[in-house]
Amino acid sequence: MRADDTTMSALMGKAQKGDAEAYRAVLDHSRKWLTGFYRGRIDPAGADDLVQETLMSVHAKRGTYDPSRPFLPWLAAIARYRWVDRLRRGYRRPESELDETLSEGDHEAEVIARISIDRMLAQLSDAQAEAIRLVKIEGLTIAEASGRTGQSESLVKVNIHRGLKKLAANVESE
Amino acid sequence: MSKANNVMSSPATNSQVDRLVADLVPVSRVRARTGLLIVAAAMLLAFMVTVPIFGVRPDVAALRPGEMVLLRSGALLLMGVAAAWAVIASSSPGVGSRRDGWRWALAAALLFPATSLALVLGGTPFPDGVLHASSAPWCLGISLASALTIGSMLTAWLRRGAVTELNRAGWLTGLAAGALGTFVYNLGCASNSVHYVALWYGLAVGISAVAGRLLVPRALRW
Repeated sequence: MRADDTTMSALMGKAQKGDAEAYRAVLDHSRKWLTGFYRGRIDPAGADDLVQETLMSVHAKRGTYDPSRPFLPWLAAIARYRWVDRLRRGYRRPESELDETLSEGDHEAEVIARISIDRMLAQLSDAQAEAIRLVKIEGLTIAEASGRTGQSESLVKVNIHRGLKKLAANVESE
Repeated sequence: MSKANNVMSSPATNSQVDRLVADLVPVSRVRARTGLLIVAAAMLLAFMVTVPIFGVRPDVAALRPGEMVLLRSGALLLMGVAAAWAVIASSSPGVGSRRDGWRWALAAALLFPATSLALVLGGTPFPDGVLHASSAPWCLGISLASALTIGSMLTAWLRRGAVTELNRAGWLTGLAAGALGTFVYNLGCASNSVHYVALWYGLAVGISAVAGRLLVPRALRW
């Protein structure tokens, strides 16, 4: 069963009052949604950690949700914040491969597309987005990214630094 | 590993959900109106401390403020409240819900320095009396001390929230605190010069905004 956003808002409102059953439904739905949200935006091994970190944040910050407003934009803002934070901490798994597949979570593709991480990356210059994709998401070294993109190593570093700064400043932008 | 398995959550994530559910207790919501009340209380506190030290203008005390006091008070209040509201609202995040109305209030407040500049460019020399005003240290001191009070209380409240754009929140907190702190000073400020407002009020608000950008984000990180 898949809950729509109105149902999620109501469930989260109940969870704020201590309803464990409603809260479990919120977390289960969020877990699935986050798994789809992060897929392809962080290496698969790191994605599970990131989902867990985000669920911890949802738990810690559940009092900031306003049940009169849609649930997914709130969850997406927290997910984006955790994602950018993860990239800034320099998370890299060079040995892993990206999983670009979509299966569970496909049904939410439209919503995800609207507020996904790709929208954030699209706000960067092509060079910044490419440097971040290669080094921070795919796990290439600076030298490898430099060879792949034709940017000098120092330019790759500058593009990553400026790109991450811009991402952090646009967590809530559409 | 199959694709289907790839998208399933790990046992660790499932047990985490169990732990979080077990850890659930009712939580009080972070409400924007509480944040506004905190800001109002901080302003009142700053005012109560300032009045015995610095006093208020006679026209303000008589509830018949002059034109310049009304104009600058309105601009400062508008800018302060708009910036405070924007940062308070950001305590409950949401993609697509960013509030930028404060930019218009800032633009309105910038009419004071713009007017001063236009007068100077038009041939009116910048008054020496304003540049070397003996009240300038009071202006900066009271404005910034009030801003510190307001900014600290606002930041402490914001820590309960989930601010996701930390640098923006820093700027806005500093701007709000600076504008509202300078508003407190303005009630006792004897000057009626637009140049004085442009220079010294502008400096106080600017310093506060920069301090907010530098200090607040690290307090709000989560």
